[in-house]
Amino acid sequence: MIKERVAYILICMALIITAIFALMLGTQEFSVVQLWQALMGDRPEILSTVLNFRLPRILAAMVTGGMLASAGAISQAVFRNRLADPTILGVTSAGELFMLIGGMLLPAFNFQKQFFALMGGLFAFALLANRKTLRQPYQLIIVGVALNLTFMALTQLFTKGINVGTSLGFNGITWSSVYVLLITGFVGLVAVLLMAPWANDLKLPDEQLSSVGVPVTAMRLGLLALVVYLSADVTADVGTIPFIGIIVPNVARYFVGHDYQTILPFSMLSGAWLLLVVDTIGRIVVLPSEISAATIMAIIGGPFLIILVQRGGFHGIKTR
Amino acid sequence: MELKHVNYGYPGSEKLIKDFTATVPNGKILSIIGQNGAGKSTLLKLLMGSVSPDTGTVELDGQLIETLSKRQRAAKIALVTQQHQVYDEMTVKEVVKTGRLPFHSLLATISDDEVRPFLRVVDLADAMNRPLSSLSGGQQQRVWLAAALAQEPQYLFLDEPTTYLDIRYQNELMALIRKLNAEQQLTVVMILHDINQALKVSDQIWLVKSGQLVKAGTADEILNEQLLSNAFELPVKIVNIEKYGPYVIQLTAS
Repeated sequence: MIKERVAYILICMALIITAIFALMLGTQEFSVVQLWQALMGDRPEILSTVLNFRLPRILAAMVTGGMLASAGAISQAVFRNRLADPTILGVTSAGELFMLIGGMLLPAFNFQKQFFALMGGLFAFALLANRKTLRQPYQLIIVGVALNLTFMALTQLFTKGINVGTSLGFNGITWSSVYVLLITGFVGLVAVLLMAPWANDLKLPDEQLSSVGVPVTAMRLGLLALVVYLSADVTADVGTIPFIGIIVPNVARYFVGHDYQTILPFSMLSGAWLLLVVDTIGRIVVLPSEISAATIMAIIGGPFLIILVQRGGFHGIKTR
Repeated sequence: MELKHVNYGYPGSEKLIKDFTATVPNGKILSIIGQNGAGKSTLLKLLMGSVSPDTGTVELDGQLIETLSKRQRAAKIALVTQQHQVYDEMTVKEVVKTGRLPFHSLLATISDDEVRPFLRVVDLADAMNRPLSSLSGGQQQRVWLAAALAQEPQYLFLDEPTTYLDIRYQNELMALIRKLNAEQQLTVVMILHDINQALKVSDQIWLVKSGQLVKAGTADEILNEQLLSNAFELPVKIVNIEKYGPYVIQLTAS
């Protein structure tokens, strides 16, 4: 209990401090004093940079991080597999492929990207969620990785090998996309908190849940729909950012235990923090250019995944 | 609860349950015994309504079981199986809270206070916040029993509840079940492997062979060498041990 509370306080503090640093750092560096002056209206040029470029980007990174982390945690509950995550299961790459095809075939309409990313995600889950992959942790991951590579290759095929990248990352993100992200993200994250008890219920075998009158299939599908919604929304707005959904919930379990009603809010906060850190580092490390958050996450995530698998923390714990 | 001329089987294979007619005595302890594959677990599934008979009827308090919703059934019947798997770390109270699911809306958060009394019954209130995996096999089985009791059922079903327990825990669990039966007027239906255990604790026994009811009766009525030998296809002998009563011994050629 105390450990939990300390963990929550620490992550909130880390998030605030990181956000302040993210506002300060960049091509132009501002001090805390300058930021304060800008806020007071004394330095309009600083205020303009911060409001138009840094703040939208910071908010986007935070909400995206929270969404990806909770999407990962929920996937892990639904598939009963600690390695499950939309980005390595091919859900997001299917979204990118569908966005590309949709963009070529149909005239533009509102929320087109979101719509096609959602369709792609659903398609990938339809291929993934069958009895065999649900029962065997390794099989799920292998099938997911294969799907991921296939979708990525198809995307490349349609772009004739040129990496146009359906995703721009956070670079140059505008308030208009940030508004969309914030609103859709908020809806998704509230749904995550509301549905958190279901993630706990799925720790029990289906037969057991059935015997206490729980509609297991509906629950599982509801949670999967939420995962697709969250990851498709992110894919449409900023592209694929890997590994947040694996790293964050697994580290969260270490700090706050195994109750999804605690893991999920904690993962949101830590995901927001991690992605903000990664994006800020990417933004300042090779000035005036930058490294995308996706690239940095892939570099950190790979080794983390290997450690996780080798320590055997990848599948559920069976008692007796 | 009543089974009337129940037939059940997978299509294309031999029937698992054949023309089964019997009544579960209210407020009593009923044990179902028989060989492996005799249809004991299938009977329990039929009684719970998790499978429906091909022909015949299963009635619960005068109603056909299949007309009740899953939730309605869950509020009347609770099941404890021989081995519970969980897919992630769970605390003791989390497990017991799952037993309260039939009483809440799907998105509800269940309070600790709500499950404490059930843990008290099985004498594990102090272990509430502990991870399930840190408990012994016997304690874990009591946690699952608490989860079943949290459903506040009229009927408590136990599918070989003692299989993975050592003898001391087996006796402890049986004593607890008898106590619950006496104090809460719970109707208990158990599948037991150990004939002697069944004879000692049960008010009534169903002896089952190849999907058919061989005999339903009290321990005294079942205690018949001929009857048991036929049902288990193994010679048995009944011996009387002073102060402890009759015991069934299965004879195997050495």
